[in-house]
Amino acid sequence: MKIIRPKGPEIFDIELEKDLLAKNKGLAKENRRRFDRSNILAVDIMGSIGSGKTSLIKAILKKLGMGKKAAVIAGDLTTTIDAERIEAEGARVIQVNTGKECHLDAHLIRRAIERMKLDGVKVLFIENVGNLICPGEFPLGAHKRLVVTSVTEGPYTVIKHPYIFREADVIVLNKMDMAKPMKVNISKLERDARQVNPRASFIKTNALSGRGIPKIIEALGLKS
Amino acid sequence: MHEFSISDEIVRNVLDAVKENNGKKVLSIQLEIGELALLNVEQVTFWIHELFKGSVAEGAKVKVKTVKARIQCESCGYKGGIGLDRQDPFQHVIPYSCPKCHSFQINIEKGRECTLRKIQAVR
Repeated sequence: MKIIRPKGPEIFDIELEKDLLAKNKGLAKENRRRFDRSNILAVDIMGSIGSGKTSLIKAILKKLGMGKKAAVIAGDLTTTIDAERIEAEGARVIQVNTGKECHLDAHLIRRAIERMKLDGVKVLFIENVGNLICPGEFPLGAHKRLVVTSVTEGPYTVIKHPYIFREADVIVLNKMDMAKPMKVNISKLERDARQVNPRASFIKTNALSGRGIPKIIEALGLKS
Repeated sequence: MHEFSISDEIVRNVLDAVKENNGKKVLSIQLEIGELALLNVEQVTFWIHELFKGSVAEGAKVKVKTVKARIQCESCGYKGGIGLDRQDPFQHVIPYSCPKCHSFQINIEKGRECTLRKIQAVR
């Protein structure tokens, strides 16, 4: 911190170089090192409200059958509904309530992993707050980022939120069983996703029936 | 959308720095916000003014300098700005694509920061 004084006896300047977003990035890097030291694959699951993030995590856990070797950090504004739903699959779960915040940040994740017993854990799913805007700006330190959207959100979700889809390693289109009744043009959504992010895997799922779940497991580099 | 929490963080940093330097009153603060940061400048300034109320920074000027974006396109090799029209305060559609070839495969080199640069205070 540099202090410049010559503006007179009373007034002074404090010069700072405080990048407020960089702080989160630094913490995210620390989280990543923590995961790497323990050989844990961390996956950030993002998507809008009601797109099926929790159902998808439940389906993946069921298919993996890893029991307590899988852990989940369930982020939500309030309530423990998601944590309870996931707990039923036998994984270790911790609920992070963000209160008024619209996203998880690296600091909250650090606090959660400090409180969680991670010994023996091979994979950690971090369920972000339902939101397609803010989580994109706040990396958590996860190795992979998965974004879920569902056909019931309509045909423009991807093109309206290119930023978060750009950040994804895996893009999941959920609730495929509803595509017909919702009259959603699936190939248009897929084209949008490929245009915004040709590097990501694009996977169509129905989390409730299990359709597409093995493909997600493969794309994340997890063996079932 | 996270303007409130960022503003809260800025205000806390300002008040801490001023206290550390025995400041009695804050006259102004200077921020630098990248044009690709997902932050609405108008909302950020509004919340900072609100959160300053009742503190030594109440009524302080909030100056915001916009940092121009610089991108590099992986598809056509374009390097430079992104051609945002900031004359229109309600242009919230941020084009994350190359202004030349419209590819989304761009690396953002500059324009996503939110920096607290300077505080002017009275001792």
